[in-house]
Amino acid sequence: MKLETLKLHLNSDDLHLFFPLFQKGVTVPAIVGCTLKSLLVDQFAIPVDYVTDRITTIFLDNRPVDDLDRTIIQEGSRVTLSAAMPGLVGATMRRGGFYAALRQGISYAADSEKTSDTSGTVRLKLFNLLLAELAPTVLARGLILERDEFNELLRNLPPQTKHSQQDTGMILLTATF
Amino acid sequence: MDKIARIDMGAAGGPKVTVAGLGDYAGLGGRAMTSLVVAAEVHPLAHPLGAENKLVISPGMLSGTVGSMTGRLSVGCKSPLTGTIKESNAGGQAAQVLARLGYAAVILEGKPAGDDLYKIVISKDGIKVIVDNSLKLMDNYPVVEKLRKEYGDKVAYMTIGSAGERKMLAASIACTDPELRPTRHCGRGGVGAVMGAKRVKAIIIDDAGVTMRPAKNPEAYRDANRKFVEGLRKHPVTGEGLPAYGTNVLTNVLNEAGGYPTNNFKTGQFEGGSKISGEAQAELEIKRGGSATHGCHRGCVIQCSGIYNDKDGKYLTKQPEYETVWSHGGHCGISNLDAIAQMDYMDDNFGVDTIEMGVTIGVAMDAGLAEFGDEAGAIRLLEEVGKGTPLGCVLGSGAGITGKVFGVERVPVVKNQALPAYDPRAVQGIGVTYATTTQGADHTAGYAIATNILKVGGDVDPLKTEGQIELSRNLQIATAAIDSTGMCLFIAFAILDQPETFQALLDMLGSFHGITMTGDDVVALGKKVLSAERDFNTRAGFTKHDDRLPRFFYTEPVAPHNVTFMMKDEELDEVFNW
Ligand code: SF4
Repeated sequence: MKLETLKLHLNSDDLHLFFPLFQKGVTVPAIVGCTLKSLLVDQFAIPVDYVTDRITTIFLDNRPVDDLDRTIIQEGSRVTLSAAMPGLVGATMRRGGFYAALRQGISYAADSEKTSDTSGTVRLKLFNLLLAELAPTVLARGLILERDEFNELLRNLPPQTKHSQQDTGMILLTATF
Repeated sequence: MDKIARIDMGAAGGPKVTVAGLGDYAGLGGRAMTSLVVAAEVHPLAHPLGAENKLVISPGMLSGTVGSMTGRLSVGCKSPLTGTIKESNAGGQAAQVLARLGYAAVILEGKPAGDDLYKIVISKDGIKVIVDNSLKLMDNYPVVEKLRKEYGDKVAYMTIGSAGERKMLAASIACTDPELRPTRHCGRGGVGAVMGAKRVKAIIIDDAGVTMRPAKNPEAYRDANRKFVEGLRKHPVTGEGLPAYGTNVLTNVLNEAGGYPTNNFKTGQFEGGSKISGEAQAELEIKRGGSATHGCHRGCVIQCSGIYNDKDGKYLTKQPEYETVWSHGGHCGISNLDAIAQMDYMDDNFGVDTIEMGVTIGVAMDAGLAEFGDEAGAIRLLEEVGKGTPLGCVLGSGAGITGKVFGVERVPVVKNQALPAYDPRAVQGIGVTYATTTQGADHTAGYAIATNILKVGGDVDPLKTEGQIELSRNLQIATAAIDSTGMCLFIAFAILDQPETFQALLDMLGSFHGITMTGDDVVALGKKVLSAERDFNTRAGFTKHDDRLPRFFYTEPVAPHNVTFMMKDEELDEVFNW
């Protein structure tokens, strides 16, 4: 499949233009077959304390995750990261939280062992406080965008990026601020 | 707060005010006051809109003090919507002002024979009940504007809109915020219809010439309050998430979890979720010159609310909360924030509960009165409520009645009250609370209060199924207690995670009243309130068979997890065994 590479350097005020995309989900290159913790800490280079204390709500394929070390990432896995949430349901969704029993029927059942690592992609969503905090890291690594996702993004980006618009194929977009 | 005012609206010769000491109700406030008065004094078989029902208005135990977050007001009665006992609470300025005037409760009793409409003025000089028929059928925004010309801007207003006067079962009571907008509503259970039945349009509360309520031990109270505020500020939910995005920050998360009821509970995920998320809403509010951070009363340090302006930068409504965005949004298949904000304004103006109203519109859509996703159709249905047309009166009477009138099978109510914004099939433990609460389906009945610290009923293993019953029980007990303090429930996270912040709360209660307060005292208070409420409901004819979810939750699996509600009836019956 044709994959064009595009590098942008943007003003930090433009970061928020990516937030709707991150809420809907973006495809990012990743080594799959590893644990969720390894994806976040080793591949995305998110500090382990931040993962432990700040990313308190995580979903894998719509299921709330409790144990990052026993959750294995597969090709195409959908990973969603959120900070702590209000409300009883917010507390219920919290990773390993006191109220985890309340959503027991949909919790992610921990995997027994990891599979072999291979190159692939995962679908990543960022919510709330983590948008501003993690989007720069993810954008610096690169996103794989479908053409229509990219065109939608371009509509909101500053004019100097417009000339990059292409008609076919997928884009590996990296952005720094 | 050393006195209770009783206003007999049906007294011979016109309304009669009696002010007396606290008697058996000494030391109570908020939900503890409203529920214990209703349980003791209202006949359980009384007609909710009749003279025998009472409307009890009570500030929390710490309202009117320098303490932060203490401004919740409870209103209680027998509910015309559910037939159960009801406590409905709101922010706004009313609780602080009423408490400073020394009233632990104001109780509206009886019912006038004629058609006159009244306003009640409460100040340090006493209570006046005045006929004012010029206010008839005015909605909340215009009625407050009119009253402000007479009573000014340094008072708090409680009003009902046209829905309350028409005794619609979804009618709310509005409390004004610091900017004197009628945006904070005692919404649930039709309390506005009870006020309307008593022909009271407005209560004007003026605390000119009175001071803050003094603590028994002022230094210890200030110190505990400082620690409490520090705890709220440092916690990521109360110090960052809620101020930045408000409660609507939950939309994305619930949608991701597959627990976001969509198109009248047909599926658990809404395609347009990210368009109406708290994140999208906050960005739009800031861009239009509104605000994503605003307190519903002075003294709130969390400030989960905001100001929503229209496209031209003009005030449209306060920031709609998560439940409102859901009920008028995903529940009806609508993904346009402006349409949702418009309906939030209409709800506040007519004086109806945003949850009940939005759920009702979704049920009406299932009946074919509009298509799912039809914003204009939803607004048109709501306009019928404002006009008081026969269709509007049906819709204004809630989801249960609307479902019956139009023959809809999927009607998400418990004890005739609409379910809030979480699908109980995906989050089964929440379903336990929805089914068993004394109030009808209510998301705040079991809140994430520090039950792990309180250890109500012993330790619970959170990963066992049976833990869900214990958790729901504990949550309901702790919530009943917090609702009595006047504290906003959003303090829950800081006291859940930070034992020192929970201790600061206990120290606030203790130093204010000159006693030592422990977790056990909080538990005892919560149990006392719940027991009284349960007992009232039993005498009103409710049985364990009413503590159930509608059948479709047991028979229709919901995507994406394809689960049904699995809790057994016998398990639900254990919730109130203590
Ligand atoms: S946190 Fe929100 S609901 Fe609670 S008192 Fe503050 S503004 Fe009102």
